[in-house]
Amino acid sequence: MATIEIDGKSLEVENGTMIIKAADEAGIYIPRFCYHEKLSIAANCRMCMVDIEKAPKPMPACATPVADGMKISTLSERAVEAQKGTMEFLLINHPLDCPICDQGGECPLQDQALGYGKDVSRFTEKKRVVEDKDIGPLIATAMTRCIHCTRCVRFGQEVAGIMEMGGTGRGEHMEITTFLGGSIDSEVSGNMIDLCPVGALTSKPYRYSARSWELQNHDAVSPHDCVGANLHIQTLRNEVKRIVPRDNSAVNECWISDRDRFGYEAVNSPERLTQPMLKSGDHWEVTDWKTAFSKVVQGLQTEINSAGPEGVAALISPLATNEEGYLFQKLLRSMDCDNIDHRLRQVDFLADSQQNLYSGAELPLEKLSTISSVLLVGSNIRKEQPLLGLKLRAASLGGSKIYAINSLDYHFNFKLDGALIVEPSTVPAALAGVALDVSRIVGTDLPEQFSAWAQLGGNRDVYSDIAEVLVADSAESLIILGDSCRQHPHYSVILAISNWIREVCGVKRIDLHEANGVGLTQNGCVPKNSENNALNLVSNPRSAYLLYGLDCVEDSIYGNVLEDSLKKANFVVSFSAFKSESMNHADVVLPITPYTECSGHFTNVEGMTQRSNAAALPRGEARPGWKVLRVLANQLSLSGFDFVDLNDVNSEMENTISEKPFEYPHDIEITLPDKHNGQDSNKLFHRIMDVPIYRVDPLVRRATALQKTADNSIRPIAGLNVEQAREFTLRDGTLMNVVTPEGNGISIQVQADNRVPVNCIYIPAGYIETAPLGVATHLTLEEV
Amino acid sequence: MTMVKQFFKNFFLVELLKGLRVTGGQLISKKITVQYPDEKTPKSPRFRGLHALRRYANGEERCIACKLCEAVCPALAITIDSTEREDGTRRTTRYDVDLFKCIYCGFCEEACPVDSIVLTDIHEFHFEEKGMNVIDKVKLLEIGDKYERDIASARHKDAPYR
Ligand code: SF4
Ligand code: SF4
Ligand code: SF4
Ligand code: FES
Repeated sequence: MATIEIDGKSLEVENGTMIIKAADEAGIYIPRFCYHEKLSIAANCRMCMVDIEKAPKPMPACATPVADGMKISTLSERAVEAQKGTMEFLLINHPLDCPICDQGGECPLQDQALGYGKDVSRFTEKKRVVEDKDIGPLIATAMTRCIHCTRCVRFGQEVAGIMEMGGTGRGEHMEITTFLGGSIDSEVSGNMIDLCPVGALTSKPYRYSARSWELQNHDAVSPHDCVGANLHIQTLRNEVKRIVPRDNSAVNECWISDRDRFGYEAVNSPERLTQPMLKSGDHWEVTDWKTAFSKVVQGLQTEINSAGPEGVAALISPLATNEEGYLFQKLLRSMDCDNIDHRLRQVDFLADSQQNLYSGAELPLEKLSTISSVLLVGSNIRKEQPLLGLKLRAASLGGSKIYAINSLDYHFNFKLDGALIVEPSTVPAALAGVALDVSRIVGTDLPEQFSAWAQLGGNRDVYSDIAEVLVADSAESLIILGDSCRQHPHYSVILAISNWIREVCGVKRIDLHEANGVGLTQNGCVPKNSENNALNLVSNPRSAYLLYGLDCVEDSIYGNVLEDSLKKANFVVSFSAFKSESMNHADVVLPITPYTECSGHFTNVEGMTQRSNAAALPRGEARPGWKVLRVLANQLSLSGFDFVDLNDVNSEMENTISEKPFEYPHDIEITLPDKHNGQDSNKLFHRIMDVPIYRVDPLVRRATALQKTADNSIRPIAGLNVEQAREFTLRDGTLMNVVTPEGNGISIQVQADNRVPVNCIYIPAGYIETAPLGVATHLTLEEV
Repeated sequence: MTMVKQFFKNFFLVELLKGLRVTGGQLISKKITVQYPDEKTPKSPRFRGLHALRRYANGEERCIACKLCEAVCPALAITIDSTEREDGTRRTTRYDVDLFKCIYCGFCEEACPVDSIVLTDIHEFHFEEKGMNVIDKVKLLEIGDKYERDIASARHKDAPYR
């Protein structure tokens, strides 16, 4: 501890703390541009000059550690003179175009120029001009405004993990630019907009559409992933203009992903549904709520009378709030129907036989950045949960070891200490291989059913590496199960093996969910009887379907089957915020609002339930889903739906929510591995599937700027192993026919992809174009 | 004594004649009545009347949608929507002034960094229908185009005092 004095206030601070940090904690203001709490220290703007007693000249507060007995003045003549001098230099080349700059009104340079700037400029020479760069669809640039603080450069280098911005030239000729003039493709690039202390980097979709001082802030929570990043939704005259992060050190710190930031574009899109609609013949007729409700009531009652409550199936999007989920399942269950599920991207429900099997995270998400070792299974965590990706990167920089078992050799923003890239069907086997080595180390026998799997995994050195690392510091180790596990035909096996590992050696586990999957599971949007799981509901056609917030083809990995069942059904109701393909199969469409216009709670993977507030009034006749469900239940004369406001729903939910939200399956029935029918015929390829980052939900698919990013392609592109692509004499973009064993086929552009292992083909889901392939695990490939 | 004086004053209608002298003077002096609306009194170049949006000499509208006028307006009379025009410049898509709300304080003109919104010396205007009190961008630019010479000369005359 050191005792220092700043502006006459004496403070006790940790040795080695920088003066600026000590001052911040004591509430003493020091001007700054380049210093940022979450970034390394660059000390290149020189704005934070302070006067230190006995020092021969002013010192930068952000780069000067405290020493015992230091007497610092931030207001002495020498300090202020230095600060004013720096400001004058900064303004020499700054264009002073505040009136047209989107940063105007929230600009540290503008604010500090007011405090430290001169009213007249002494600079009469020519100002330098820097050409603007086109760095992609998300960030607009005005590089003349750049003050070379290098915050954006450091963010890329340190936090995001891909160095996309850099400085070239020196002195007057220094420029901040992307390498080779490329675009910025990071999934968290939007944070540079917040970091940039001037208007050099601003948001492109928001460009020139409002001023910061006229925006209204609303506290919300991101629905796009299971992290639950805290957001400020900013509106002007009831229109969402932009989204910025809300600090929460336990969840997102001060970052949000681009998906959270730019996903709002969908809510202003022309595809919004604003009127209830009825199908009459082959066209849609706009109607009022009353007629729409009576039609739904009539339709449902007819189907229940003829096919019984079992004839109704309800599928809900994982983006729904807890309240919507709760009311939706309550409505169904009040009609004696258990057919409800939100897991439309899961095929193996064997683990359901265990109650409360859905684990979330066994440790606070905060801890992720200090964890000592991680095994990623079937996860492209960087794109699935961008904010957790950042935490793993921080962990990796801090020296933790990260391994991955994946089917695609994903490019992560952290270093992998070992990766096993195997065809999808071998993923459980590879995990069993690790389990086998764990059992050797801890001296317990591996249960027999796992050994059968382990044999398929072969003998690999990396298994023992992973096992050793996991066991060595097991309390600080973590297994992360990603989206590909959830979509895996042997998800229950993966769950069981990972479960066994965590039981014998005490490692932690995170089972990543889609969006609000945890909240919906806790609030009853899973069937009580596992037989009624989503796959069964979809593949055994029911006579009536209720679809909630779904674009049925893209939002399910068996969207093709769902579509067929919808065609066969007598009565389909779609609750949706957007017009979509799935509307075509519906009889009634009820317009609900997206999260920006609907208050509610989201529960993240850690089990933390956070409230998200509506930021704007519902568009047109659309209404928040929970209200629609409540009124519908009243119309159906179901009792127990007399809620007046959201709090009523909430207090009822709190009483019903299960005490122990997370429990772990013990003895799941373990299926034995399939015979590998793919290996004999060299024409049969394993299909690798994932849902690309900007195809995951109805909102991001309609966010125009996100759709233009490099992470997204408007039409799906298949990837083939580089060697095999050569055998096919394939040029990038060649069209090929891909056919399932059942004979469903599509033609798709194929390109060589160095992430794909041999005998595999990568075909993304989340596209209408690839939906006909369904969940087929093996495919044949033919030249067109 | 005073009473006698008063009596004679009243008797000879002194007060009345005093008053009539003023009347008589006015009767023969030069008149200042103007034949409004054919004739008008002079106005200061600082007169604050109807709003106008100005253009540059090349025909480009001056306004850059900075919204400073909207922010400074004490009567919340100005409503602006802005966007990026195809050529990449910042422009308004809507610029409405509610002339009923406006208190003609001239703050908007003071705030404007590009001398776009100005208050002209026009004060003779009326509305015939409900809603016409809100004038839009097209109208404001038209006024600006029509009176640009007057507007410019008024600013020129006032310049030395600013
Ligand atoms: S672009 Fe912004 S953040 Fe990057 S160096 Fe320039 S001023 Fe700093
Ligand atoms: S003159 Fe004053 S009240 Fe009228 S629009 Fe301008 S700022 Fe508002
Ligand atoms: S009139 Fe002037 S102050 Fe108002 S938005 Fe336009 S440029 Fe800005
Ligand atoms: S903040 Fe200290 S030098 Fe920039």
